[in-house]
Parts: sequence; C-alpha cells; structure tokens
Amino acid sequence: MLRMIAWRLPQIVATLVILSLAAWLAIGAMPGDPISLAMMADPRLGPADIERMRALHGLDQPLIARWWAWASGVLHGEFGYSRLFARPAAEVLWPALRGSLALLGAALAIAATLGIAAGMLAALRPRWRAPVDAVALVSQALPSFWLGILLIILFAVTLGWLPAGGTPDSGSAVEAARFLILPVATLAIAHLAAYARHTAAAMAEVLRAPWITAARARGAPESRIAFRHALPNAAVPLLSILALDAGALVSGALITETVFARPGMGKLLTDAVMGNDHNLALLALLLVAGTTLLATLAADLAQRALDPRLGRDG
Amino acid sequence: MTRLRLGLAILILLAAAAVAAPWVAAWLGVDPEVPDLLTRQSGPSAAHPLGTDELGRDILARLLFGARVSLAVGLAAALASTTIGLAAGLLAAWLGGWVDAVLMRLADGLLALPALPLLVLLAAMDPATIGLPRGGALADVLRIVLILAIFGWVGVARLSRAAAISVLARDHVRAARALGVGEARLLRRHVAPALAAPLTVAGSLAVAGAILAESTLSFLGLGIQPPASSWGNMLANAQDLVFSAPMAALWPGLAIAAAVAGAMLVADGLRREDALR
Amino acid sequence: MTVAKLSPRLAVLALLLAAPLQAAAQTRDTLTIGMAQATGTFHPNIESMLAKSYILGFTRRPLTAHGPDWRPVCLGCDSFPTLENGQVARETTPDGKPGMHVTWRLREDLRWGDGRPVTAEDLRFAWEAGRAFETGFGGAEFYRSAYEFLSDGPRSVTLRFDKLSFDAGSAGNFEPLPAHIDRAIWEADRRNYRSRTAYDTDTANPGLWNGPYRIAAVQPGAGVTLERNESWAGPAPAFRRINIRVVENSAALEAQLLAGQLDMIAGELGLSLDQAIALERRSRNRFRFEYRTGLVWEHLDLRLDNPILSDVRIRQALMLAIDRPRIVQSLFDGRQPIAATAIHPDDPMIDKALAPWPFDPARAATLLEEAGWRPGPDGIRRNAEGTRLALDLQTTAGNRSRETVLQVIQGMWRATGVEARIANQPPRVLFGETLSQRRFQGAVLFAWISSPENVPRSTLHSDEIPTAARNWSGQNYPGYSNPEMDALLEALPQELDAEKRRPMWSRLQAMTHRDLPAIPLWHRAEPHVWPQWLDGIRPTGNMSPSSLWVTDWRVR
Repeated sequence: MLRMIAWRLPQIVATLVILSLAAWLAIGAMPGDPISLAMMADPRLGPADIERMRALHGLDQPLIARWWAWASGVLHGEFGYSRLFARPAAEVLWPALRGSLALLGAALAIAATLGIAAGMLAALRPRWRAPVDAVALVSQALPSFWLGILLIILFAVTLGWLPAGGTPDSGSAVEAARFLILPVATLAIAHLAAYARHTAAAMAEVLRAPWITAARARGAPESRIAFRHALPNAAVPLLSILALDAGALVSGALITETVFARPGMGKLLTDAVMGNDHNLALLALLLVAGTTLLATLAADLAQRALDPRLGRDG
Repeated sequence: MTRLRLGLAILILLAAAAVAAPWVAAWLGVDPEVPDLLTRQSGPSAAHPLGTDELGRDILARLLFGARVSLAVGLAAALASTTIGLAAGLLAAWLGGWVDAVLMRLADGLLALPALPLLVLLAAMDPATIGLPRGGALADVLRIVLILAIFGWVGVARLSRAAAISVLARDHVRAARALGVGEARLLRRHVAPALAAPLTVAGSLAVAGAILAESTLSFLGLGIQPPASSWGNMLANAQDLVFSAPMAALWPGLAIAAAVAGAMLVADGLRREDALR
Repeated sequence: MTVAKLSPRLAVLALLLAAPLQAAAQTRDTLTIGMAQATGTFHPNIESMLAKSYILGFTRRPLTAHGPDWRPVCLGCDSFPTLENGQVARETTPDGKPGMHVTWRLREDLRWGDGRPVTAEDLRFAWEAGRAFETGFGGAEFYRSAYEFLSDGPRSVTLRFDKLSFDAGSAGNFEPLPAHIDRAIWEADRRNYRSRTAYDTDTANPGLWNGPYRIAAVQPGAGVTLERNESWAGPAPAFRRINIRVVENSAALEAQLLAGQLDMIAGELGLSLDQAIALERRSRNRFRFEYRTGLVWEHLDLRLDNPILSDVRIRQALMLAIDRPRIVQSLFDGRQPIAATAIHPDDPMIDKALAPWPFDPARAATLLEEAGWRPGPDGIRRNAEGTRLALDLQTTAGNRSRETVLQVIQGMWRATGVEARIANQPPRVLFGETLSQRRFQGAVLFAWISSPENVPRSTLHSDEIPTAARNWSGQNYPGYSNPEMDALLEALPQELDAEKRRPMWSRLQAMTHRDLPAIPLWHRAEPHVWPQWLDGIRPTGNMSPSSLWVTDWRVR
C-alpha cells in the first residue's frame, strides 16, 4: 500500500507539472491577448503605447518564460492575479468552488443513491429490470441544456413554483435549497444512469457467483445476501466511477451552471480559458486535475483493499 | 437481444432518414439552407409538416439534413477514438516498459482534465493554424471529430490494454508466443476475438457521447457553422426564442435523445450478448 | 415505504415549493436588474466594459456625459465648457503650436460616500495617474495631449491641451478619483496600481463612490448590490437597494424575467432584439418595452486589397443586392434604422440629403456584368479567367442574431450570383486576430460603438491601417486609403465652428457612401424591458448609460 503511494505520488506531481505547461502554452496559443482587447476598446492607442503596454503586462516575454515565472510564484504560494475578475485568482476560485461543491455534491449524492438503489432493484427483482433500464436510458440520452430549459419552462415560467436560476439574496437554507432544486435535478438525472447500470451489471455478476448460490443454499435471507454479500463486492467497480465524479465535483458543470446562471467551476474554467486569464485558468485546472488524480489513487487503494485479487501490477 | 434489435432499428431508421433527406426536401419543394423571410416561425402545415424556423426554413428538411451531420460526427468520432485507442492500448500491452508508462500516464492526465473547457479551447482555435480547411460543413465535422477523438481515445486505450494484457498472460498464449508464433497471428487468433466485444460496446457508447458533445459545442456557439444544419445547432439556435417557439427546440432535442438512446441500446445489447456467451 | 414515512419529506417539499417568490417584487423599495455581461475591474479608468460603465452610472458622477438628446451635459460640473462661456479658450503652447485650455468647475454639493467633498485634488490625481503611462489607464491620447493641470481653488480645474479639438469640453473618462483613498496606493507602486486599487481590493468602501448609489457588495461574476449613498446631496433616488444580476445566457435571462426574479433587463446589455420582440408579442401587458436606436453601427468591413473587392463596382453591387428594408422589417420589426453611412440619423452632423443605398438587384447585376463577372453554370458568376465570384463572410460565432443576418445576406448575394462562404469565429479570435491583424479575406459583420459627432479617424485614415510594423494599431481594417479623406480627418477636429464643420462632415459621408470601404447595414436598437410600475428611465442610445439618470426613476 505505502509502496504504491510512494510510486504514484511523484507520477501525479509530474503529470500536474506537464499539464500546467501544456495548458499554459495552449491558452497562450489562442489569439486575442489582453492588449489586443484593449486596442479594440481604445482606438487611439498608438504603436508606441501598445509596445509599452505589452512590456507593462509582461507580454513581451516568451510564453515559456512567463510559465516559469508563474510556476516559481506557485511554489511560493503566489497564485497570481485574475485579469478577468480583477482580484487575486485564489479569491475568485473559492466562491466558484463552493458553488460547484453544493450543486454537484447534492446532485451526485442523489444520483448515486437513486442510481444504486435502482440498480439493485433491477438486479434483484427481474420484473423491475425493464423499467429501470428504460429510465436510465432516457435520462442519459437527454442533452442536459435541453432538459434544463424544459424544467425551467415548466417549473419556473409556467407554474412559477421554483426560481429559474441564479442564487438567492438571503442566506436562509430554505431559499438556498429552492434555488438548487432545478439545477440539481438536471444534473442528477444525467448522472443517475451510470450508477444504475453499473450497479445492476455488477450485482448481476456477483449474484451468479458460486458462493452466493452457496449462501442461498445455506438458507441465508435474500436481504442479507443482497446487502451483506453482493453489494460490497459490486461496489468495487463503482469506486472508479465515484473517483471520476469526485473530479466532476470540483470541475463543475459548465452547461448547468450556464443555463441556471449559477457561479461554479465549470463556468469559471471556461471563462478563464477563453478570456486568456492564465493565472485563474491554471489554478482551476490544477485543482481539478489534482483532485481527480488523487481520487483515482484513493479509488485504486480502496479497490485493492476490497479485492485482494488485484495484486502486484501497479 | 431485443435491446440490440431495438437500438439497431432506431439507428437504421435515423440513418435511412438521413439518406432520404434530399428526396424529402425535393418532395416538399423546400431548400433546407435558403432563408425565406416571408414564412418565419410558421406552425405545421401541409407545406411544412413540422413548421419553419426563425429564418423560414423547413424544420423537417433541416432535421433530416441535420441527421447526416450529427450521425456523421457520431460515427466518425467513435471510429477515430476507437482506432486511436485500440492502437495505443495494443502498443502499451505489447511493448510494455516505458511506452506503456508514457501512454498510460498520458491517458491518466487526459482523464483527469476537465474535458469541456478544453474542448471549448480547442474548438475556438482557428483550424487553419493546424492545416485543416476552414468553412463548410465538412471542415466543421472534421474539426469536431478531431477534437472529440483527442479525449475519446483514452477509455478505449485502457480497455484494450487491459484485455490484451489478460489475453497475453494466459498460459496457452504464452506458450504460443514462446513457440515463436508470429505477432500478427497472435493478434488475429487470440487478442482480436477477446477485444471484439468490448470494443464494439465502447464504440457504440462513443457514438452516443459524440452526438451529445456536438450538441454541447453548438450550445456554446462552437459547433457546425450555419447555414448547414446539425441537431446541435438547430437546438442552439432555437434556444433564444424557446419561450415563443418551443417546438423548434423540441424536435432536434428529441432527435438527439433518440439517436443517443439507440446507440446506448446497441451497446447494452452487445454487452448482454457477450455476457451470455 | 409507506405513506406515513413519506409524508414528512413531502411536507418539506411542499414548503419549499410554496415559499413566496422573491419578496423584492412586492415591496418596491428594491429593484432587481438583469444584464448579460459580467464585470471585471471596477476602476473607472482601467479597461472599458459596457457592464462596468452601466454599474458606475449608478455610483459615480463623471464631469460630463451625453444626455438622451445626445447633447453634452454637465453632471459633475456647473456649466459645460464652451468657447462662448469662456471656459474653453484658444492659446499657443510653449513650443508655439495652436493649443487650448478648458476649465471645469465642480458642483459644490458633490461628495464621496464617506462625506468628504469631491475637489480639484481628486482630478489632479486622475490626471497625474493618467499621464504616468505605467498606471495603465485607457485614453492615452487624452493624457498625452493634456500637458498641464492648473487649479485656482478646490472646485476649479483647468487642463491645457497641445492641440485643438471641437469637443474639448467633454471630459470623457477624465473623472474625479478619490485621492484620499487611492493616491497613496498609486504612489507606493505605480506599476501595480492596476491590481491594488481600492476599487478592486475594497470595492464596498463608500469613499470610492460619489453617485446616488454606492456598491455595497460584489459577487464576482454574478452581480453587485447597490445601496443608497448617504452622502449624496442631489435628488433622492427611489430605491433603497438595487440588485444587478449577471445572467450571460440569453434564454436564462429571459426565464428569470418571466419567473419574476428580475424586475427589468438593462437595454444596454440585455436581450437580443428579436428575443425582445418575441417577448413583447406574448407579454405586452406584464412589461413595458422601449426600443432605443443608438450609436452602434452594424456593418460589413470589406477587405479592399482582395482583387475582387478592390473594384468599387463590386462593392456597390454587393450593397445593392442586400434587401435591408426586408431584413429589418421581418427580423427586427422595423425597429433599426437603415444606415446610409456610419453616421446615425440622429447625429447632429448627419447629411439628410444622402439616402441609403436602395435594394436594386437589377442594378447590382448590371454593375457585376460591367466589371466582367457573368453567371456560370451553377449560378455563381465568373470572370474572363474563370475565377468564381466567391467571398468569405464572417461574424462572431455564438451571436445568434448576427449569424441569422449573415445567412440571409448569404442567400441574397447568392441570388445575384455571388457565393459567400460563412466562417464564423469566436469573438476573441475574430477581434483578437482575424480583424485586428487583417487576416480576413472577404467581409466581416460586426459593429462599431461611437459617440455623437465622433470623428472616424481610426477607421478611415490611411495611417490607421494595422500592420505588424505598427504593432497592429489602428482600426482601418478594410485598408481604405484616400488622401482627400486623410486631409478631411485631420482638419475636422481642429475646426471649432460647428457650422463650418457641417460641409466637411457631408463630404466625409458622401465619400464613404460612394467608396464603400464597409457596407453599412443599420444602427442597432437596444430593447429595454421595464416593469409596468416603473417610470422615468430614459435610454440614451449613446455611450452614457441610462443609469446616470437613476434619480429620475420612479415607482408609479
């Protein structure tokens, strides 16, 4: 276990370093730096003004040199200034991260609970299989912005029961929950199917295993078989989905955040990448990638603990 | 079995509709790309069975021509990701060592990245800078397929690597290898059969994913260029006026849902058949 | 699971569903405004963004602005400086050039939100910071020209300029900055003032704001909350609080309005025109709509060094082939005036005798024939060498309204035998490279925003054609080069007599009308959506946002 951590952690760090460099270069390769945007806004900037502004913003340096300056700043805990939001990048990140954690946290918790329950139902009660499959199929097939707009039309505009998006003014929990219902529903519907399918498949496989048949033969009650024997074993493949979703928790949901006008990491990342805001984009990217890589490592460790058959190869 | 058939039936029906698009348009006497400002947003009628869009173009005709683009994106992206993924996976399994390590860390890295913002970044780049043609629906399809393949190959690569490693580790395969059986023959006789089923499943899932991804890129204004239609850009164009003309958004949404569901049914059916075998 | 077990949860759900929608809509001492653009910095002189200028309209008083009638007015000063009232005077600069000085006298009752009066020191600070290039203020040209700052008392400010300009009385972005807060920050580190100004590090500090409202809270990327400025001595505004919400997706913006979460949508950056027109058809009784046409000129820039487009007959034919009345009528309900040139019909210097180009496909065909382009087998014209008459046609991807217009134009050109290939790009690519580095080959649809009687030097002077050698400065993207135009553009600003400028403006309009470096389409209308109970908003249609006159807004 410790050996695996010692082996994988340096790899994760190396991956992050390479990622940051690749992302920095990719963003820099996009046309439209801050100066060309300033030129659009102020037609009277002359050639000399532009040259001085480039120097002032450090844009006369090559991309690699700017990445190096940024990276050494990060090592000293300096994450730089977000050009787009005119605030320190870290300060911009927190509200968006909070927004995403609330939205995705609720949505994924609901999706995982309902999905796993539906999957178990389908595996244990054959007559439920078809309806569960149908629901999973439909929920996965709907484009999420389309579903979001349909929900808004129905529940916010026509019925007037729920807000159409945004965030509440007051800090009350009930208000916050009301604003969360529609976006959470949109996201949960999209994520539910994966849990349902994988649970159903894994459970079905485990239930065919000889030791389950043996347990049945011993006369163990069906519920005990389902929860004590089958579920923990079926959970092994689910862990890797959970790990990827942990990344989603941090990376946010661009489309849902856009349609419901909620602050979140998906929107922030896209705005930062598209707005040539290197510092903010890199900070957010590293946070997301780091979380996902660590979660994957955690999932691998947990899988190994649950299933000793996964042995040496690492 | 029934799933597979149902899924295939849906996809074949959609493909047939796509093929029939020019005849349907000719029969209706409409051009899916030429605006007609006199018939904007009209309701269903004999001349326009599903009504017209914000530029007076026949929605049915655009839907059918859009099927060509959306299905082409789905199939081509799936094919591209599967091919690249298969090649990378086999290479990693076969050669092992540092090739394996580099490929798999690359895969981890890509998997750890938030795909959507990077898709947006790639989609916003000028295709001319990497030597792709600019303008026209075909160029857009190529661009989108390429972008989706950059992220799409990872899953297939891991899958085929795992399957190939497990096959190569089997005793009779190791024996065959030791006896000097050619690589090509090994691949054909032992690895290919083991890979066929999971690959077709992954491929059909990739079709579904690509169709959804195209609609998402269109929603962000980075999809297929007008005046050509795709389901994604029809949906995206309808969203501004969704409260006054909801039907224009309903049809492409249903078409996407049907195609995605069809592809998933096929994947599901294949998986089940494989499990039964 | 039994019903009894379910019911507590259902009760919570019912409670959630039944909770009253937004108390704001009922009490009417709060106004919630939706807008489609997020803000970055709140510093008035760093970066120019429409969303920021809308918010600053509530919270700051500039010296001067352009009113809804497009005349210059004093907001922070006593009387608008003119030659007639002696506040503008010609003089000679120390190095012997014709120059002038302008005097603004600050209003007596103007105070920062912390109670301190706005004084000449606040303007001296703004001028010093603007003159120091490393501060990174916009409007470099203004500060270069304003070479001396004079003040004879806390309320009097005089700037000396090293050149003549007929609109010197307009202070533009030269506005008081709170010297008592920001001067020390600026002096400590001029290069990093951009990221250390109190406007961004301490935005809720009342001392930064001298308008009827002050910014009380910022939700980055999501909006701001404005509260009344207790030190404001002018007429009291009607609302205790104004919430400004950013909803960038236009369908979501409309949804929030319909759901009652927003009271109004700012016309300056809100719904698209066709969206507003469709909304009005359905909810005429719930909201009030006003469409204000403004100084936003939609046009197609043409690449003049493209061999096809270098022939003026082809440019004229392309112009004649576009049925603008039909487009404006069917897509925009006739609400956007068709443009004859870049000059708006309400601009004081419009030449009314110059009619917009008509829609005349027959004449377009004749012109193309004359230029040697005859219809080929596929309906697209070809010249003697067999070249097809084909052009790139581009606009900002994701702007549905423009994409729609582009497709209509494509269809109309096709009917005349011209093939247009649409290749839209995200705004950042289009503006950041394709246009500004002149990489486009055909026509690009976009808009210029200007102010009344704005001399179009940067778009028409041959010195303003962007080149790598000039760091791509300038906005003459078509590459228009005409010595007569250059002379006109240089003479215009220096002519202080409005009546003598009029014939010069007419000549300028006649030349762009004939030469068509850009095909004029129309002047954009901003759709304002207000609740039935709100009165007194006067959209300006120019760069001064309606929020500057928030004290006139009243609950009915």
